[in-house]
Amino acid sequence: MAADERRLRVAVLGAGLIGLDLAEKASRSAELELALVAGRSRDSLGLHRAADMGYATSPDGIAAVLAAGPLDVVFDATNADSHAEHWAALRGTGTALIDLTPTGVGKVIVPTVNGAQAPAHQHLNLVSCGGQAAIPLLHAISQRCAPSYIELVSTGASASAGRATRLNLDQYIATTSAAIRTFTGTRDAKVMVNLSPARPEPPFRVAMTLLADGIRPAPVRTTIAAAADAVRAYAPGFKVTSLVVDAGRIALAVEVTATGGRLPRHAGSVDIINGAAVLLAEQYAAAR
Amino acid sequence: MDTNTIQRPRILLHDPTLRDGHHAVAHRLDADQLRAYATAANAAGVPVVEVGHGNGLGASSLQIGRAKLPDPVMLTTVREALTTSKMGVFMAPGWGTADDLRAAVDRGADVVRIAAHCTEADVTERHLGVVRDLGAEAQGVLLMSHMARPDRLAEQCALLVKFGAQAVGIMDSAGHYLPADVIERIHAITEAVDVPVIFHGHNNLGLAVANSLAAAEAGATIIDATARGFGAGAGNTQLEVLVAVLERRGFDTGIGLRAILAAADLAQERLMEAPPRIDSISVASGVAGVFSGFKKPVLQAALRAGVDPVDLFLALGERQVVAGQEDLIGDVTRQLKAAAR
Repeated sequence: MAADERRLRVAVLGAGLIGLDLAEKASRSAELELALVAGRSRDSLGLHRAADMGYATSPDGIAAVLAAGPLDVVFDATNADSHAEHWAALRGTGTALIDLTPTGVGKVIVPTVNGAQAPAHQHLNLVSCGGQAAIPLLHAISQRCAPSYIELVSTGASASAGRATRLNLDQYIATTSAAIRTFTGTRDAKVMVNLSPARPEPPFRVAMTLLADGIRPAPVRTTIAAAADAVRAYAPGFKVTSLVVDAGRIALAVEVTATGGRLPRHAGSVDIINGAAVLLAEQYAAAR
Repeated sequence: MDTNTIQRPRILLHDPTLRDGHHAVAHRLDADQLRAYATAANAAGVPVVEVGHGNGLGASSLQIGRAKLPDPVMLTTVREALTTSKMGVFMAPGWGTADDLRAAVDRGADVVRIAAHCTEADVTERHLGVVRDLGAEAQGVLLMSHMARPDRLAEQCALLVKFGAQAVGIMDSAGHYLPADVIERIHAITEAVDVPVIFHGHNNLGLAVANSLAAAEAGATIIDATARGFGAGAGNTQLEVLVAVLERRGFDTGIGLRAILAAADLAQERLMEAPPRIDSISVASGVAGVFSGFKKPVLQAALRAGVDPVDLFLALGERQVVAGQEDLIGDVTRQLKAAAR
């Protein structure tokens, strides 16, 4: 089938919360053909679930990905500590690697800000879920004023954070604050992360505070609304829930709920970063 | 005077006056204040003097409040004042990082507490390992512990031990417990682990000392208490009272009453405008199970918006907010105000 021939062969490395949803999103994409979900343990519950969902699976990690034949794109949804090894294995094979772990090693991409640059790079990094939720707005605001300080506090439901996320909190903080500095030109950025044990689980929430001189409220509000609309193209549950603009300070919060698919509503963190990853893979398809 | 002939275990009193107390003064203690209290606590034989921003290493922020002094300055100041007491620090992954831990141990932190919300012990795995590698004493504590059942807390404490914690326990961050709640939880934890068990109380319902005594009787051997109860919300377990109570009950703390009373007097004079008290909103926050450290920001938001702070605390309790989620205070305030129109 002609349409099929144009589809990119992709594999997902990692069978945790992020990997499973990524597999589902990739398999629903008209541009992508999901060839493999590779976990790293035979006992992985996620891998069994992926098999139940009808996907080809392997417990052999990167080795299975290399053995799966020519792939166009691999998504790394494992752990920041394992990513370097995965890039070393794929580098030079012609396969693009989209990194969803917080390493900041590949070309750092936030789709609504610099997504157009992605197809020119073989190795992409998606910062973090908090980065994907905040940077589109922070970047837009920083076109209207020059923040001297930006603070981000992300809160996810306990159930939305798997083992790798919990082990990688320091990398999450370092990578997210570095990306905020890069995308906004702000020297001083601080990132904090909460996991909430509340039941029912609260939606993924990212609160941001910016300090800047001479803030003009009207253009700031307009630019935030436009940036949020752009994000909703691939993360429909993205919503600005509060916005207070003073002369020297902007405080805003976004909440992201997961929509469609098997993700529970509260797992907006997974939904937004995976939505971005699949969009970028589709851009590789379009750029061919 | 009654006598106690039963031999009871030694209780180690851990003193976070210079950490938790920071919540009562918007994290604004200066170096002279830190030095003065650390000197007095050291003279009284307090085993561990904990210091830092109210939410610990790395937590100074617009969200939670900016500390007057950077972490390294606070630690160096207190370290220089201690000759026999150990220096303790507190860090919650997500607020601080391993870099903060390394900097703290470099500056002489002996006891490092790694904290997680009650059901989130597995965020501590990395950092407890880092503390052990650095050679400091690693402890693991569960915040907002009233939100989880005793068996869950026991299971989470066992995880903390597995990750390397050399003492583990629970914080009653909202001051919500009654003595029976504490006894049930400490029993469950002591059965699940073979390391010393920690209890940290707050006084919202007037029970911090009673709860701490109950914890000691149930088998906890590390109890947190602060001079005059200086701490978040209605304050912590009052240290000098607890020394007296434990002594009457036959627990040895190694702290002399006269010396700790002198340290407490100094704390009242130097650290606070007035000792903590249980006002109406402290009761509301204890009943609602909201983090005691929310008191100051809740009062400010309520005053600014003209809403009742008790209503605000109860609404935050319904949202089951946890420490670190101060950003929700503004949202919930606006919702209350809109609903009142």
